[in-house]
Amino acid sequence: MPPARPLRNYGRPGVDGDEAHAGEGPDQDSGQNSKPATWGHPAPSPSSLRGLDWFVFFLADAQMGFGPLVAVYLTTQKWTQGDIGLVLTAGGLVALAGQMPGGALVDAARSERVLAAFSVLAIGASALMIGAWPIFAVVLAAKLLHSAASCILGPAIAAISLGLVGHAAMAERLGRNARFASIGAGLAAAGMGTAGYLISNQAIFFVTAALCVPTLVSLWLIGAGQVDPERAHGGKAVAHPGDPMATFRMLMRNRPLMIFAGCVALFHLANAAMLPITAGAITMRSSDWAAALVGACILVPQVVVAAFAPWVGRQAMLRGRRPLLLLGFGALPVRGALLAFATTPDMLVAVQVLDGISAAVLAVMVPLIIADATRGTGHFNLAQGIMGTAVGIGASLSTTLGGYACDRWGITSAFLLLAGVAATGLVVVLAFMPETGELQAER
Amino acid sequence: MQYFARALAASGIALIALPATALTSAAAERWHLSQSADQPTVAAPTGDIEQEAPAITEDGTPATVIDDREVEGILGKSVRSNAGEDMGQIIDVIVKRDGQVRAAVIDFGGFLGVGSRKIAVDWSALSFPASSVIDHVVLNLTPDQVRLAPEYRPGEPLVVLGAAETVQPKPDHSTKSENSPPEK
Repeated sequence: MPPARPLRNYGRPGVDGDEAHAGEGPDQDSGQNSKPATWGHPAPSPSSLRGLDWFVFFLADAQMGFGPLVAVYLTTQKWTQGDIGLVLTAGGLVALAGQMPGGALVDAARSERVLAAFSVLAIGASALMIGAWPIFAVVLAAKLLHSAASCILGPAIAAISLGLVGHAAMAERLGRNARFASIGAGLAAAGMGTAGYLISNQAIFFVTAALCVPTLVSLWLIGAGQVDPERAHGGKAVAHPGDPMATFRMLMRNRPLMIFAGCVALFHLANAAMLPITAGAITMRSSDWAAALVGACILVPQVVVAAFAPWVGRQAMLRGRRPLLLLGFGALPVRGALLAFATTPDMLVAVQVLDGISAAVLAVMVPLIIADATRGTGHFNLAQGIMGTAVGIGASLSTTLGGYACDRWGITSAFLLLAGVAATGLVVVLAFMPETGELQAER
Repeated sequence: MQYFARALAASGIALIALPATALTSAAAERWHLSQSADQPTVAAPTGDIEQEAPAITEDGTPATVIDDREVEGILGKSVRSNAGEDMGQIIDVIVKRDGQVRAAVIDFGGFLGVGSRKIAVDWSALSFPASSVIDHVVLNLTPDQVRLAPEYRPGEPLVVLGAAETVQPKPDHSTKSENSPPEK
């Protein structure tokens, strides 16, 4: 048996591409000829690619309704703040704890599409439950269901993308995904803000449930045979019978992946609290246009991502990952510092352009670098789950840290503290993060 | 630690919530049945806001029947200014030790739940429309007065935003906004 794809074994421990292919059985001397849909020869049809576009778009639409809006809606349903906090905390905990199981499930799935379809159904059901029966037990169950489904959908989108286009075209595809997700989220935020104002917050949850129908139709457009499961998992997994933790240990020893997880955690530790504090400051400082300005703070980054993410994807292919990472991680401390010294609400909104730049870079780079670092392991999605856990820890600590700093030392100091955390992240990227893109220079 | 404690509490409440509500609704129904059997004519509101139902002396509990058009739950009601501007929603009601209603906490401002601030306003600054259905409550303050108020935090000294022009002549309740803690 000749080494079918020797380049895929980048000398990382526990990864043996030859062995992985040897297990495939009756393949002839060339794995490519016998399995045309696998490894390096993806042939996504235009309708599949458009299906993925719209799938990402409608899913981002639907997910918008589950944000901070839930708290507003439950308040109008005579919920106490304690119950609301409890439900949101429980949902957040499941969203955090479910990241790695969700990723492992996507890695184990034979069809990413079917798994994603069930998750979309779960999201629709969750929205209906929240909208129709706003009582404690139902909303708690719905929130937990939604968190669990989101833990699967996050990796599943990247897995479908990778399974459809392969590693070589992944950067460009992720840029496109980010564009459609941002357009979806931006339109949803604008539409839901209007609907909530004109109709009711309750209506938003029924709209969210209805949005799951076009999401499923888009998913249907993605050709089933074109999403290669092995490609979607980042290779063929090496089985470790009797040692369930072996895979996890292997990923934990993956140096680029672990360094990047640390950087991303630092990024979100600095990033997540910035928008809420900014929005609170606008509410406090602006009299007439506060709601519109806060809305602009949410929409401006989405517009920037939509415009900028495809460029990020292309540049990642041309120039490698590191320059873009430095751009994205560098924008955040600058944003924190500018927010600290911004005096008028309009300036706070303008600074949100930097949020869009960071968000565009992270949206493309996080799945891309994970795909780079796990290439050939067959555990792309478990690695995404690990990264999701890092993001979740960073983001949830961020609001606590930001809120505490805000109370103790005031808004300016809070922004400066967050900027300091962001600068630390930038330094770690600069000093330790290797260029992962060179790994796929084979093609 | 706090997360885990709250998660445990959440699951615990989820388990006990169903039997608890079942019990209370069953009790209410039983009371309702006995009450309607004893007092078949109480459902005749004739303009009186309150009707003292005669105490059921032997085995019942005294009760007051109020026309449902005269009373309204207040939690979650939207708040408007005198000029009709959106001022958020009532999310809590603050009472003093003696049970007297002191203030309402409103969730003010923001967009889609982002950037809102919780602010305590004097109960006397609220006025309730006289129409039969209370779809919103009017707060006699302007958005400009409310937006700068320090945020309400349970467990910390309460800053109650007073009524603008119609300040209640209650010198003992002098916790008004001028002696509020410094702005964040």
